[in-house]
Amino acid sequence: MLGVSIDTLRRWDRGGKLRAIRNGKTGHRYFADSDVQLYLKGPMIIARQWAFDDEVRSLDPRFHCRTRDIFQARLETLQNKLADSLGIELASLITAITGEIGNNSFDHNLGNWPDELGIFFSNTQNNEIVLADRGRGILLTLSRVDTSLKNHSDALIAAFSRQISGRPSEGRGNGLKFVRRVVTTRPINLVFQTGDAVVELNQHKTDIDVKIVSESIRGCYAVISY
Amino acid sequence: MIILIHKFGTTLISRPAGKEAYLAFQSSLSNLQDDETLIVDFDGVITLSPSWADEFLTPLFEQYHDRLKMINYSNASVTETLRMLHLLSEQL
Repeated sequence: MLGVSIDTLRRWDRGGKLRAIRNGKTGHRYFADSDVQLYLKGPMIIARQWAFDDEVRSLDPRFHCRTRDIFQARLETLQNKLADSLGIELASLITAITGEIGNNSFDHNLGNWPDELGIFFSNTQNNEIVLADRGRGILLTLSRVDTSLKNHSDALIAAFSRQISGRPSEGRGNGLKFVRRVVTTRPINLVFQTGDAVVELNQHKTDIDVKIVSESIRGCYAVISY
Repeated sequence: MIILIHKFGTTLISRPAGKEAYLAFQSSLSNLQDDETLIVDFDGVITLSPSWADEFLTPLFEQYHDRLKMINYSNASVTETLRMLHLLSEQL
């Protein structure tokens, strides 16, 4: 299934790449199906399958932050790892933009989640952070306060360039503008999709150049690379 | 009066947490004298985002304006957040 030798599996277990469950009596190594699927597919594919499908699939609880508190705790763990490997400056900024994107999902879907509550949140071994939700998406959220937004592209441009909030009483909405500023001035890449609209932002792509794709998502999907 | 932001946590990212911090600090603010400066000290903060700051700092700025002074904001996420919210002194 994995196409690697037993010695490699033992090495991966020792190194933490693919942890085994040990049988106390025999000492045999067993691998959880969810861990094998994670190795085979990677977090990005698991996130896309969960967030893009019309029907709700069950999601491995290690990736599923059903509440904001779970997201906060896992993000702090990631922050500490990033600080060790990248230094505090870049770690604090990556944590801040990850927090903004993840908390946006909670802020704008509170009491209105169409089916599954919460967000997908994980990081890969290739220095990528993956976030996704099955929420209402940016267009539906922002069109409550700006009826001129006609499609997902309009909504994505507004979210990343204007001070606009889907919560009328707040009159704020700096989150994705902040994300754009950070990723376009630091060695960070962001791919963000809502509906059929995708934008990629980094130091060389500072304009909001929206691409329309065939595979649409009702909520939001984001990959931060560093 | 000095507000030590790290007393509210070192990873400050969500709106509800910022709002809760603001409400919790209201009782302390009642001791602020009319001519006293309110110093906001970010020493020890690892991550700050605009959502948290918008709920905590923006209402303080609206209430105290030039009596509000930020110190120890060299952390990158703190600086970027304060810039985004136009709360640094050179932007006021």
